[in-house]
Amino acid sequence: MILAAGDVTDFLSINLTTIIASWLNLLILFLVLKHFLFDKVNKVLEDRKNEVAETYKRADEAEENAKKLEDDYRERLSGAKEESAQIIQAATKKAQQRSDEIIAEAKTEAKGITENARAEIEREKKIAVNKIKDDITDIAFSAAQAVIEKDLTSEDNEKLIAEFIDSVGEA
Amino acid sequence: MDDIGAGPKVVFEIGSIVITETVVMGWLIVAVVTLLCLWLTRGLKKVPDSKRQVVAEMFVKFVNDMVKKNMGEKLMGYSPYIGALLISAVLGALISMVGLRSMTADINVTAAWALLTFVLITFHKIKANGFVGYLKSFAQPVAFILPLNLISELATPASMAFRLFGNVAGGMVITGLLYGALGTASEALHLHFAFGQWAFSALQVGIPAVLSIYFDLFSGCIQAYIFSMLTMVNVGAAAEE
Repeated sequence: MILAAGDVTDFLSINLTTIIASWLNLLILFLVLKHFLFDKVNKVLEDRKNEVAETYKRADEAEENAKKLEDDYRERLSGAKEESAQIIQAATKKAQQRSDEIIAEAKTEAKGITENARAEIEREKKIAVNKIKDDITDIAFSAAQAVIEKDLTSEDNEKLIAEFIDSVGEA
Repeated sequence: MDDIGAGPKVVFEIGSIVITETVVMGWLIVAVVTLLCLWLTRGLKKVPDSKRQVVAEMFVKFVNDMVKKNMGEKLMGYSPYIGALLISAVLGALISMVGLRSMTADINVTAAWALLTFVLITFHKIKANGFVGYLKSFAQPVAFILPLNLISELATPASMAFRLFGNVAGGMVITGLLYGALGTASEALHLHFAFGQWAFSALQVGIPAVLSIYFDLFSGCIQAYIFSMLTMVNVGAAAEE
């Protein structure tokens, strides 16, 4: 039977053209789906999966890093506390030493000053005593002159001088 | 009434090569799917910002998961083929809803697909067992069972082809019969109106749609799914042996 356009084929007829065309259509559809849908979408899905995995990995790494840093800082902080205590102790010790030194120095200086002052006083005293002795001698001479100018017995005179000298010697 | 139970019409011919409606429907489906793919995968991003990408990903994931579950990780390369089979079978049946002839209501199409499945099954069996092992497997577990094994081997593609064809073609025939019956009933009840070339039967509105939902939409999708599933299971089982 030769078929022409518009003819209707039998319900269960075998048509080799249709079979081959079906294969070709399926093959084309397969290639189209593979190249334009599955490959592209699978790539995107794969990329997303990798990105998620990468993100999780990075987050884990960051957490680990942070933990390490925290431990490090804690250690350093405790070290710093110890160190500061040491520094304070050393400073206290040094200050104590310094103050002791200063006090000792001051004491020595004060002692020197006191001694100087005492020596000075002694010297001044000696000078004063000598001066008084001179003054007394002068006064005695004046007194003696005055007595001499008046009438003074030799007896009285002698007595006066002796008394005077005695009294001066006592002083 | 004449076209009920008839094969596909001849659209045109090149020499002795006859191109039927079925083949044209196949081209139509390929064209539509190609355009759809190009449109769906335009501007794919790692973080999807369009519904198109979500739809494309959903379909690809659906087919990938199915292939992974039924054929195993090693045969993931088959997922575009299974996707093509699924889309062809679904659209081939659903195309009748816009008044065209179902592509899968042609035994040549379903037979071609089933033959391809048979070829894949045989290929994987030979690959897994070697050619001698493949021939020997027909005489397992006892020699006299050989004819039964041969029949069951051939029954797989035959049953697949006729199952898909029978469901879609049967639905088409029933819908055609119902249309005819409703047309006759409309004429009997004086609900048939003719305006020159254009005729209209009141009972033909609405009522066939209910049956169409079952025969075209439900049956078409289910049978397409079954055909793809059988292909996956049989090829997967052949590869595992």
